[in-house]
Amino acid sequence: MDDYAIGVLTNVGLISFLALSAYLLLIAGEMSFGQQAFFGVGAYAGGMLTAMYGWPLPLAALCAMALGALAQFLVGLPTLRLRGLYFAMATLAAAEMARILFELFHFQRQLEGEPVGPDGTQGFRGIRWVFEHGVEPLGYLGIVYALLALALVAFLLVERSRLGATLRGVGEDPELAASLGVDVNRVKLGVAAAAGALAALGGVLYAHHNTYIEPRNFDIMLGVHSLAYALIGGLGTALGPLVGVVLDIGALEGSRVFHGYRMIVFGGLVALLLIWRPRGLLDERAVQWLRRRFS
Amino acid sequence: MSLLRVRDVVTAYGKIEALKGVSLEVAQGSITCLLGPNGAGKTTLMMSIAGILKPRKGAILFGGEDIAGRAPHSIVAKGVALVPENRLVFPSMTVLENLNAGAYQRGDRNAIADDVERMFARFPRLKERAAQQAGTLSGGEQQMLAVARALMSRPKLLLMDEPSLGLAPLVVEEIFRIVTELHKDGTSIFLVEQNAHMALKVAQHFYLMEQGKVSFSGTPGALAEDEVIRRAYLGSSKT
Amino acid sequence: MTDLAQNTLDGLFLGSSYALLALGFTLIFGVLRRVNLSFGPAVMFGCYAATWVHLNFGAGLVLLAMVAVLGSILAGAYVERLCFAPHRGGSAIAAMVASFALWMQFEELATIALPRHVYDFPALHGGAPLAFGALTLRVESLVMLLAAVLVCALLWWILYRTRFGVAVRAVIDQPQAAQLAGISVPRIFMLTFALASAIGGLAGFLIASSHEQVTPMLGMWSTMKGLLAMMLGGLGSLPGAVLGGLALGLLEAHSQWFFGPQTRDLIAYALLFILLAARVPWMTTRSAS
Repeated sequence: MDDYAIGVLTNVGLISFLALSAYLLLIAGEMSFGQQAFFGVGAYAGGMLTAMYGWPLPLAALCAMALGALAQFLVGLPTLRLRGLYFAMATLAAAEMARILFELFHFQRQLEGEPVGPDGTQGFRGIRWVFEHGVEPLGYLGIVYALLALALVAFLLVERSRLGATLRGVGEDPELAASLGVDVNRVKLGVAAAAGALAALGGVLYAHHNTYIEPRNFDIMLGVHSLAYALIGGLGTALGPLVGVVLDIGALEGSRVFHGYRMIVFGGLVALLLIWRPRGLLDERAVQWLRRRFS
Repeated sequence: MSLLRVRDVVTAYGKIEALKGVSLEVAQGSITCLLGPNGAGKTTLMMSIAGILKPRKGAILFGGEDIAGRAPHSIVAKGVALVPENRLVFPSMTVLENLNAGAYQRGDRNAIADDVERMFARFPRLKERAAQQAGTLSGGEQQMLAVARALMSRPKLLLMDEPSLGLAPLVVEEIFRIVTELHKDGTSIFLVEQNAHMALKVAQHFYLMEQGKVSFSGTPGALAEDEVIRRAYLGSSKT
Repeated sequence: MTDLAQNTLDGLFLGSSYALLALGFTLIFGVLRRVNLSFGPAVMFGCYAATWVHLNFGAGLVLLAMVAVLGSILAGAYVERLCFAPHRGGSAIAAMVASFALWMQFEELATIALPRHVYDFPALHGGAPLAFGALTLRVESLVMLLAAVLVCALLWWILYRTRFGVAVRAVIDQPQAAQLAGISVPRIFMLTFALASAIGGLAGFLIASSHEQVTPMLGMWSTMKGLLAMMLGGLGSLPGAVLGGLALGLLEAHSQWFFGPQTRDLIAYALLFILLAARVPWMTTRSAS
């Protein structure tokens, strides 16, 4: 497999974490324009821990996930009680604040005579743990997908469980769920923390794949893109967001067919698709149909 | 001669059929009443006639023309106006603006102004509150406003969905007095009511509806009144 | 003291452009109850159309303004037909994500048609700024403020003195009752969209000629500012949109003076977040789903 294909596939995997994180919140009934902020938190935290303090990547990743979870939890605490669009705008505001904070964040250490660390708008270069430990691109691809597979398994297990039904119930009809004894706010906060951790994991992996990150990477476009992937792929299953990511990054960009006007094609496709399937390709009905067919 | 003919109308919400094949008629120049317990589908029927809901099957013939599934504004253009359940006034617009909105499709400015005066004459309390925001009116006043607004389109058929809901008895009497007046002036009225007693006093013909179908059709003397009331509130004894 | 006055003045002018953008957003939101993420990009499309005309034909300012307005209306109609008409009774999220998809289209289209990152745009007024004692007034800013005032007056007249306006207010107030009163809601949606796009197009033209340049970032920038101003003023309220826009302008002008451009944006977003988190009543009363 050539380097370009490996690169595209790795990208698909990385962005999938972000799309899954948006999807998780959508299932619980919340639309977030801000998951890119937690992606960024993971990227910066993980990068700092490995590049500046020599932490091993797995440990840094766990720490980054914890930070991502905490960050999203804290953002969610005052905002999850807001309805629909208000919550979305709050996440947008929070994410833009995060991005600006990344721009203002200068924190470097001298390592072997060189300054290492986030340097505001100049970015954060030298996140080279993966290269310094001899992990090949193909190997890294494997790691990313192994972790993604783990996440997917977790999702699929939850979806078939009572927790999954509770989540969807909260998302569809919070009043009904509350009247059945569900602590809606606690559920949503839990979902928020999980979504934050997921996005942060993607961020850590992203930072170590690119070796260089800058605040511009984590702008509103990334966030709305991941929301779009989740929605067009379909809200019926965790595989939905992946379908969305594969469609855009994989098929359209990877194939280089529509080079230069990929977004025009993709944008048009998305709008048309949503007319036909407002809840995405793999929406609840499609998933049920597939389950019946293959069981 | 029937002004409105509903023929085997089926209206569903997703998989749930609220109307399971409803057939009834409203004769020209009459007050026809539709009674029935909650959940029978009376409001669904009204909304289907007014075009807010699209029937899945069946026909709704108004003056011989099938209006089922048409857009609400074109149904108003044909001469059908609905006074909805819960009145649905325009809360942040004034009483006067509400009335003018009801005449939206008309172009004859002077005649509209005349009609407004006529509404004020018929509903003096609305005149007092002409410049007041409709949302601040009392329930009874809002009901009058909703009726007046519907009348501003000069409908041939006035549909009324539970006009007495939530109103004090004196106000209810006033509402029904107005219904009788309108009828005398030539408007055909199709009235959904929970208050079977008052409804039977004014109607020439009535229907009972239960669980999405018409269960009885007749004139007010045809069933004993307490039987009608029982079935209107509780449904028939057969399960 | 003069700094304070100057910043306040600048803030008001800046705020007028935000107010216009917010008005466009709010018209669409108030009537359709949906957020149109392609609003800014449609504005940008209008500006780019005007830029293209300027580059190829060197037309006068009035003509360019008309092109910008028409371009925005055209772009807005495209968005309305593809993203909002099909989802009218359905999913708000689908409509919004579709509008985002078209945003992507507009941005790419702009970079294809006019590939350079920055293009010159003719200035409204080539001359020097006016001076009033210690305060300076750019003529462009004055025009912007005047335009905002005029648009507000025009909008008020349309909404309160025309039949169309009654229909728009009826749909905003109680959509189902509007249908029952014989108002064609789909038609009102289309016309409102056109009106909102026209206002946006004018705003875009004024902004572009005020900065004397256009960039592809105009789309995102307009969307962000419009959304922020709309939320600050209270979602769905037209007077609120104007006040929100002015407030945002004032906030930015003063923050920039004290803290610099990055912190300026930080403060605006932080304010929005705090207001939302505190569930300030004027901001969270309108139904937004």
